[in-house]
Amino acid sequence: MTSSEGDSPQMVLTEDQAFGLLAFLVCSAEISLVEPTYYGTFRLVDAASRLMGFMLEHDPERSHEFLERFKEEVDTKKVWMMWDREAYYDFLRSAPAAVAAEVKRREETASPAAGDDQA
Amino acid sequence: MSGSMARPSPEQLLTLLKSRRVCRSFTEEPVSDDDLRMMTEAARWATSAGNRHIHKFLVVRDPAVIHNVRTVSPGMLTAPPALIVILTDLEAAARESLQLEHDHANWMDVGTAAMNMMNMAHALSLGSCPVTSFSRSGAAVMLDLPPHLIPEWLLIVGHPAPAPRPRRLGANAPKPVAARDLTWWEQPGRHEP
Repeated sequence: MTSSEGDSPQMVLTEDQAFGLLAFLVCSAEISLVEPTYYGTFRLVDAASRLMGFMLEHDPERSHEFLERFKEEVDTKKVWMMWDREAYYDFLRSAPAAVAAEVKRREETASPAAGDDQA
Repeated sequence: MSGSMARPSPEQLLTLLKSRRVCRSFTEEPVSDDDLRMMTEAARWATSAGNRHIHKFLVVRDPAVIHNVRTVSPGMLTAPPALIVILTDLEAAARESLQLEHDHANWMDVGTAAMNMMNMAHALSLGSCPVTSFSRSGAAVMLDLPPHLIPEWLLIVGHPAPAPRPRRLGANAPKPVAARDLTWWEQPGRHEP
């Protein structure tokens, strides 16, 4: 699997890693039927962590630093769910802004030649 | 029970029980077969409703199988050196004429066997962590289980890795629970005799 945008499409996930994530997600969906509702949030951020771990194995040039830092933050704070739920919820509320900023940074630093609609 | 049987003192037993914690980080050192036998021996001596023993304990050490089980177990946050799966044997349950859909004792027996194994792991200086967040159907495939064996509960086992730095609790973190908080005497709500 490669990134679909950018000037240098890079492998970010092998087929085995993608299947590992696929299994994790569908199993999480099943067990979410019987687990406390807030566990679902944990499964999603844990999946995000696993995805970042796979991506880091491919040394993504443009976002390595962000992924390394954000994965460490996710892995530290996701387990707060078990003993400090309010702090965990605060982390969930703050996390999207960090990812959004990285998405935006990537767009702004992409080569002009990368966009399909840019001549 | 024989009066001459050596027993740990109440203080020793309570110390063991109070010092056990779940462990989610292990070294790569394998768990010995003797230790795993001690754990399943402890499980065997757990309470079993009606002395019916409808559960089996499947010991898994193959890293490839453990990896596959973890793939369908979102609650297994790390890959352990060993895994013990508590299975309900539906054929044994049928021989006992059990109505599993109504039989809560089945779950109690899973719990008592699990607790015995975790305490034995702790006594052996091993770390363990129960995993209930897994796909039963997915685990059955990964473990090549026949249809009459239902995976109920996973216990990951290994030698504990060095403990991470102590966590800092926020102001809203729940306060530690004492036995007093959970115990009533004679009437609901009365905490002390």
